[in-house]
Amino acid sequence: MIPRMVAILGLLFLAAPIYLAALASVTPESRLFEGPVLFPSALSLEHYRDLFTARAFWQPIRNSLIVASVTTGLCVTLGAFCAYAIARLHFRGKRLVLGTILAVTMFPQISIVSPLYLLLRQLGLINTYPGLVLPYLTFAMPLTVWLLVGYFRQLPAELEDAARLDGAGPIRTLGEVVLPLAAPGLAATAILTFIYCWNEFLFALAFTLGPERRTVPVAIALFRGQYQVPWGEILAASIVATAPVAILILLFQRRIVQGMTAGAIKG
Amino acid sequence: MAVAKLAVAVALVCLILGCGSGRDDEIVVSFPGSALGAEGELLAQQLERFMAEHPGIRVERRATPDASDQRHQLYVQWLNAGVGDPDILQLDVIWTAEFAAAGWILSLDRFDPDTADLLPGPLAASRYRGRLYALPWFVDVGLLYWRTDLLEGPPSSFADLGGVVAQAAGRAGLPYAFVWQGARYEGLVTVFLEFLGGHGGRILDERGAVRVDSEAAVRALSLMKQSIEDGWAPKAVLGWQEEQVRFAFQNGKAVLMRNWPYAYPLMERGADSKVAGRFAVAPMPATSSGEPTAALGGSLLAINARSEHPEAAWAVIDYLTRPAQMLDRAVQVGQYPPRRSLYQEGSGLQGRLAIPLAAIGQVIERARARPVTPIYSELSGLLQIRLHEALTGQRDPAEALSLAAREMRELLARKDLGPEPEVMDDAG
Amino acid sequence: MQARGEARLAWLLIAPALGSVVVIALFPLAWAIRESFHLHDLRAPWLGQPWIGLANYAEAAADARLWLALAHTVGFAAVSVALELALGLLLALALHRAIAARGPVRTLALIPWALPTVVAALLWRFLFDGPTDWLADPLRAWIPIVLADVWKTTPFVMLLLLAGLQTIDESLYEAARIDGASDWQQFCHVTLPLLRPALLVALIFRTLDALRVFDLIYALTGGGPGTATEPISLYAFNVLLQNLRFGYGSAIAVIVFLVTFGLALLYVRTVGAGLLEEES
Repeated sequence: MIPRMVAILGLLFLAAPIYLAALASVTPESRLFEGPVLFPSALSLEHYRDLFTARAFWQPIRNSLIVASVTTGLCVTLGAFCAYAIARLHFRGKRLVLGTILAVTMFPQISIVSPLYLLLRQLGLINTYPGLVLPYLTFAMPLTVWLLVGYFRQLPAELEDAARLDGAGPIRTLGEVVLPLAAPGLAATAILTFIYCWNEFLFALAFTLGPERRTVPVAIALFRGQYQVPWGEILAASIVATAPVAILILLFQRRIVQGMTAGAIKG
Repeated sequence: MAVAKLAVAVALVCLILGCGSGRDDEIVVSFPGSALGAEGELLAQQLERFMAEHPGIRVERRATPDASDQRHQLYVQWLNAGVGDPDILQLDVIWTAEFAAAGWILSLDRFDPDTADLLPGPLAASRYRGRLYALPWFVDVGLLYWRTDLLEGPPSSFADLGGVVAQAAGRAGLPYAFVWQGARYEGLVTVFLEFLGGHGGRILDERGAVRVDSEAAVRALSLMKQSIEDGWAPKAVLGWQEEQVRFAFQNGKAVLMRNWPYAYPLMERGADSKVAGRFAVAPMPATSSGEPTAALGGSLLAINARSEHPEAAWAVIDYLTRPAQMLDRAVQVGQYPPRRSLYQEGSGLQGRLAIPLAAIGQVIERARARPVTPIYSELSGLLQIRLHEALTGQRDPAEALSLAAREMRELLARKDLGPEPEVMDDAG
Repeated sequence: MQARGEARLAWLLIAPALGSVVVIALFPLAWAIRESFHLHDLRAPWLGQPWIGLANYAEAAADARLWLALAHTVGFAAVSVALELALGLLLALALHRAIAARGPVRTLALIPWALPTVVAALLWRFLFDGPTDWLADPLRAWIPIVLADVWKTTPFVMLLLLAGLQTIDESLYEAARIDGASDWQQFCHVTLPLLRPALLVALIFRTLDALRVFDLIYALTGGGPGTATEPISLYAFNVLLQNLRFGYGSAIAVIVFLVTFGLALLYVRTVGAGLLEEES
């Protein structure tokens, strides 16, 4: 009885703000300055309309989609190569390599945003897609590598041994035997990487200059007017920003949880 | 594998696309500005007319956030990157010295602009070390809004605040007599500046020496603190910025409000306003040792020092700062012009502004700029902290101001920006 | 021969990943460290960019606002992580027993976690900005901040612990029950010890993330009112991009790095040693 109550209360806590935000996004602005409304009254789609006309919100969405997709593709590919090498090949310095890559997850972004900015400027990559893909790749890589190393290690070695006996080199083994088997793990890391890129804020804020390359979180954060905060539009944009991610989650929640917990459970 | 190949292909495509596209022969000048609402529309119209008059120049708009801090942050990123884009910059009045010192904006003296008609306050904010770095575009001033149905006339002396105004509030059953922006942010400095000027004080004097610990300043700050202690300003003002103050007045809870002109049309025509038709504006009060002071806000237009088309950028700025354009902006958007001629009879503004010309003209004429120094934001930060400490009762006003003054002096000295030396009478 | 070929192949495979890490992460870090030993104020170019040794760090040591920001950060991390672990554990236990519907429940639970942080921050700001004036109160402004962080990250902890709970063999509970253990005793002697790895992972990740908090507070209060809710990352950001002091800002950034990295190393040494082990 009690566990059920607790569970329900907990889920309500998680769901309530989203409900209130969704409701506010279809409520006219004049009713919003006292705060969130609890029940639907006067409904209006004005915020969504303004979002895609005056604010051209499709631009940040496009930018986020491109950056997140490209980063995910590159990250999973390069990460898989790296993880395979660490998991299955013999070479010296393995711990150092893995440690270095993992250490990056502990970097506070603020510590490197300024010099990274100067570096990207030298390379002419400010306000470009590659200018975002590169940093995202770097920071998404550790998690990808770590998860895939764990995943690859779990795979039964017999299949790879069999392939090697058949005369296949490591690359072919990777491509034809390991990767297909690892598809669930790859999918999990792909989704986690996508979500990371979709949500990233500080680098996007620092490395883009205008709406043509700004991503969704930055665009939303910059909605504020001189004195006023256009809540209706911000919340509408938030709902729109959440939708792709929510769909991904709905389709792949099992994979995501597997990915999240893989590293932890086997300890 | 196929997915990976696709990803790499997409990446290559984006690399190519992201590297910019070719342009034709006309000069393209980029102009950042608000894209929203009445201001956005007006700007679009004005730029269209400009481009019609100047066929070889195309002006591209860049949407920038309206919030001052965020715009500052973006500008810093762009300018520090040495990027020549945007060619034109819309500066807040307090940024000129900072940007000029960092070498980010061009001196406009080379274009020999005609500044005779420009008001002294905004012009002072456009200069740094004697050279002109920007042209004033529109101005904002601190105003006193007062309830015409509760008072005979606006209070002209600070002494009236406690007496007359508090009584009026009591009689009408209003919770607050006077609301102002007291949160710890730049707005607090503008409010303080007005109280300070009303008592005859200044933040920096002509030589650039810090004067924030003067007698006048202590009296001004003490008065602000007193207003909260005596209850005729609510304690909540210590967390309020412009909008919260406006709502308090607009919902009929205060007799007086200190705010910027933007609030006027919102309260006059807004559907939610409970005070429509029952308020007016006046200059802030003063004491016998000071004068009514309005803090100067607003925007200036400057040229990016790395711009590849400074002459074209100048043409745009010159056009937008002409009287006709400023007049349109005043009427359509409610942002006031920094030109003296427009406040005189027959200028065309008569009767077309939300705020009566007579009321606002005088105030703008005498508006006082905040100190013009490259490190203004840091100085302001120091001052804000101490002011707020005094107002929240954590420190005695005299102590807070003397601390602030000391910190400000140290900071100026560290940056080699200390006051110019006094000329000794008995030079030897 | 085969080993050398394999090693070469291995390096080839890790080169892109390692390369991007070195260029994008390590090199800028080195640069930031170098900048921190120089004076570099963009608003005062007449002062040049001289080497000033540890002067920036000395200034940092005497900077009250910096210490305040550090205190804010550590306090925030302590409170948030404690709440998230407790709440996550509570919810995991409850869900483990109570609710059968997996998919929809997990989707719902994951949405707060998957939102952009700034969106979550704006959402919570909206919830508090209208009805209350807490955002203007130096102490109470922390409440929406902590709530937003807990709301956003408890799902992660909950799912982590839930998965951990599901690996615990039911027969252990059976045995304990037969031995006469109460629910509480079962929890203490069966559940908690077996959940340890998952709890520790959650603790490490959440603490490191909480110490680096930036997006959430930037969008929720901007560090305000005044500087009452300013964490160390936001202070560094302000010094760099508002005050344009790149030398001093880099010193603060390096301090943040040392604190975070130091703590991470500490964790790894004491707790997570198994995470880096090679295959046997």
